[in-house]
Amino acid sequence: MSDCGCAREAAGEGMRRRSFLGWAAAGLGGLIALVLGSTGGAYFVSPIFKKDEEDWVDVGAVKEIRPGSPVKVDFVARKRDAWAVTEKRSSAWVSTADGATFTVFDPRCTHLGCPYRWDQAKEQFLCPCHAGVFSSDGAVVSGPPPRPLDRYDTKVVNGRLLIQPLPQKRTV
Amino acid sequence: MNDRKLLAARDWINERTGFDKVWGALFERRIPEAKGAVAWLYTLGSASMFVFAVQAATGALLAMNYVPSPDHAYDSVRFIGEKVLCGAFIRGLHHWGASFMVVLVVAHMLRVYFMGSYKYPREGTWMVGVALLLLVIGFGFTGYLLPWDQKAYWATAVGTNIAGQTPFVGPLVSKALKGSSEMGAATLPRFYALHVLVLPGLMLLGLGAHLFLVVWHGISEPPARAGKAADDKGAA
Repeated sequence: MSDCGCAREAAGEGMRRRSFLGWAAAGLGGLIALVLGSTGGAYFVSPIFKKDEEDWVDVGAVKEIRPGSPVKVDFVARKRDAWAVTEKRSSAWVSTADGATFTVFDPRCTHLGCPYRWDQAKEQFLCPCHAGVFSSDGAVVSGPPPRPLDRYDTKVVNGRLLIQPLPQKRTV
Repeated sequence: MNDRKLLAARDWINERTGFDKVWGALFERRIPEAKGAVAWLYTLGSASMFVFAVQAATGALLAMNYVPSPDHAYDSVRFIGEKVLCGAFIRGLHHWGASFMVVLVVAHMLRVYFMGSYKYPREGTWMVGVALLLLVIGFGFTGYLLPWDQKAYWATAVGTNIAGQTPFVGPLVSKALKGSSEMGAATLPRFYALHVLVLPGLMLLGLGAHLFLVVWHGISEPPARAGKAADDKGAA
């Protein structure tokens, strides 16, 4: 009992050691809580800071796509989903007037998603489901489609045509 | 005015929860006086519990991105380390915390053993403590497989083969652990479920009992020679 500091504490002297330890415990605990809280919090909300990766798909050499009638290209889109990579077979309609700039259409009709085809004689896209008709630049000619054909973003890198198979809606 | 409001709030909570009594029992109880290295030995139990809390927090975060399937386990762990903000740090804490926890609980057990703190009336605390030690080793064994890399796979192959050496029931134990005759798709989710559902539940039960007994009995005195202890008492 003689050395427990109670007497000095009562006299207002020993309080210094006791309160120092109290503050030290609170300070260190706060520091630990801060480190764990901030890193754990950052981990939890990290999806917010993550940029969506662009998945450009190579659909072929530019010179093989001749100006004139649209051509249908088939490709395999690799999509990264967090740690998983999924592959999806897909296709698109590519048309070019000059062999330099390309327009790529989503292969589904904007009405209900049926696959349409190119009619060489009429020079129009025809949808077999509900008789939707689109012109060669994707505009609605007749039928129920509510908007022009959806397009994909394109770019040309080293003579290869790259597309991003996410439909870009156009209102006009 | 503010102080009075604060005090009123404290009284309101106290009347309804008995919080001050709980606080007093946990943090203002009498503990033996110890000095120097011996005093530090008394911190090993609290340290173990703190590391367990860190393991629980980091483990919950890791589980948000981990998939216990042979197809995805390795890739999802790589994803945590490479793509998730602070993911490498959180996984590192969990990884090193796991090893450190085993070191701490073994040191804690040695402290209790060599100071004779397991003796009457604290045998129950000791027994629960031994169960907690086994649970910690279970956490280590099941968690080691989860990254699903070469080291994880072969360490678990060896571990389950050791279980298979048990006389008579060995093959059955090994098969139950693996979830199948061979390690594979059935093993990983089994170990994961044990690691994140079964063991934490048992751990919390055991920890609750252990802490209750520690507080109930009080902390044992450091050992002293009979004559010397009497002298100390006389002096006091």
